[in-house]
Amino acid sequence: MKQLVRALIIVFVVSFGLLYIVNRLNTAQGYTGDNTLTVYNWGDYIDMDILDQFEEETGIKVIYETFDSNEAMLTKIQQGGTSYDIAVPSEYAIEKMEEEDLLLPIDHVKIPNLQYIDSRFLDLSFDENNKYSIPYFWGTVGILYNPDEVGDISFSEWDDLWDPSLKNDILLVDGAREVIGFSLNSMNYSLNETNKARLVEAKEKLDLLTPNIKAIVGDEIRLLMQNEEAAVAVLWSGIAQDAIWENDKLEYVVPEQGSNLWFDNMVIPKTSKNPEAAHQFINFMLDPEIAAQNADYVGYSTPNREALKHLDEETVNDERFYPDEETTDNLEVYENLGKRMLAFYNDLFLEFKMHRK
Amino acid sequence: MTKFKLSSLYLIAVFIILYAPIFYLIFYSFNSGGDMYNFEGFTLEWYTEIFQDTRLLIIVLNTVVVALLSAAISTILGVAGALAIYYARRRQTKNALLSLNNVLIVSPDVIIGASFLIFFTMIGIKLGFISVLLAHIAFSVPIVVLMVLPKLEEMSTSMIYAALDLGASRFDVLTKVILPYITPGIFAGFFMALTYSLDDFAVTFFVTGNGFSTLSVEIYSLARQGVSLSINALSALLFLFTMLLVIGYYFITKKANKPNGMGVRQ
Repeated sequence: MKQLVRALIIVFVVSFGLLYIVNRLNTAQGYTGDNTLTVYNWGDYIDMDILDQFEEETGIKVIYETFDSNEAMLTKIQQGGTSYDIAVPSEYAIEKMEEEDLLLPIDHVKIPNLQYIDSRFLDLSFDENNKYSIPYFWGTVGILYNPDEVGDISFSEWDDLWDPSLKNDILLVDGAREVIGFSLNSMNYSLNETNKARLVEAKEKLDLLTPNIKAIVGDEIRLLMQNEEAAVAVLWSGIAQDAIWENDKLEYVVPEQGSNLWFDNMVIPKTSKNPEAAHQFINFMLDPEIAAQNADYVGYSTPNREALKHLDEETVNDERFYPDEETTDNLEVYENLGKRMLAFYNDLFLEFKMHRK
Repeated sequence: MTKFKLSSLYLIAVFIILYAPIFYLIFYSFNSGGDMYNFEGFTLEWYTEIFQDTRLLIIVLNTVVVALLSAAISTILGVAGALAIYYARRRQTKNALLSLNNVLIVSPDVIIGASFLIFFTMIGIKLGFISVLLAHIAFSVPIVVLMVLPKLEEMSTSMIYAALDLGASRFDVLTKVILPYITPGIFAGFFMALTYSLDDFAVTFFVTGNGFSTLSVEIYSLARQGVSLSINALSALLFLFTMLLVIGYYFITKKANKPNGMGVRQ
């Protein structure tokens, strides 16, 4: 009995001691004061030095939390019980959040740096007049390939994927809209197609691609590509850029017929406790020098026109990641097609995944 | 002789398979190359990086505090629960209680996590330290019950009658006979709860928020962009820590198992 009581007391003393240390650490870092800002972002999606600079400049303490998928972020914010001041969802998630009334409108007067954002990336279908969201990074869906292994295929068209010489060489990202999307694009249909006959046609075309497909994978697609485990992959430009950094043999291309243009935007959730600081943060992130520093670290394409001047010329002139206007005009942003249509896309994708080689 | 060799060979093979990934991970935590493919040179860079990152340090401490507190509290509750099941008069009640306990162990973590998330937000508990602690206590209690109950069952009832005959009060019986007897079970329960809490991801994932996070959730978020080797370093430290726990547990049980008079100690 004594032994038990003693052990119990030790455990409690140790844990309260640790609790005290955590508390001290938190206070020392300024996390307990009122003047804090909670940022909820994708993992490894910001240059942490920028947060320090922001703290120094404004005296606001930043609490930084990360998520790994739009769905996880949505659940946390929907359920309440959290008080994130800034979140960085992708465009379709923003539309959903708008619908469910989870966002605070952004006061453009407080964000003078908005003028630096390229007008191509403003006022898009998922958030008209940018009432609720400000672009953070953007990118495309395209083809990453290893030129040594594909012969003289240039992938200027999506149809090149169906080339018989690519047997068992292609990786696809595990996303219904991405995969069905490129099949639609290859037939010059819209990415937001809602005509079921055309969607089935796209799926049937995909079935013909199965001999070429090596695997349908998630985030590990980057590692597989940079280690040259496969020759070709259909993926997002951000992952492609990361892979190219690690293995400069790889090439990325967005087929001319068109593709998807995606965004991760900053929003202010309704549960925000410090919307004032959130506006300051958004404005700070749009500062050309800061945006350039962040783009340099993260490697995704920044929507900030002025920031481009602060980036390496080599980066900015890289047509693969900063395509000209002609190309971006061909790109489409995903629209929210509604639950039913989305379920149809998912069903088709599932059928395609189960299609036997 | 050959039989012995074969079986030990098998054992060694199994252990190699089980431990190889962990040691692979730890090995590359010393890699100066920055990835897990080519070992370029020895460095402690990743370890220093961990200790300089206050945010990560806070998360580690949080994880440990939650594990210790939830294990301690759930041990108290679990022992009480085990006693209640042990003392239940009717066989059906006993079985019903035990089944209710076991259902909690086998039900998927995701469902438990989701229901906690809904429950906490419904009754207005802010997601953070308290919500994680409560959730961890809740899923640890059944484990403690399961670890303690067999010890109670194997205890001879004549010891209790003997103590009562010799004039012990019911409280004396509890503190001087029963608890000392089941101490190894209690410690086993405590350590099980501790390890469950330390490595739980699914439940914790749902109930963290507002700047509070635990290690498993944090590592998961980081892994999206490819795991940095500082995560390897962190895992190596965590592995070392669990090893120490296991060794500590070994010594405690060894001490507790020593024959000790009539089961009445100290």
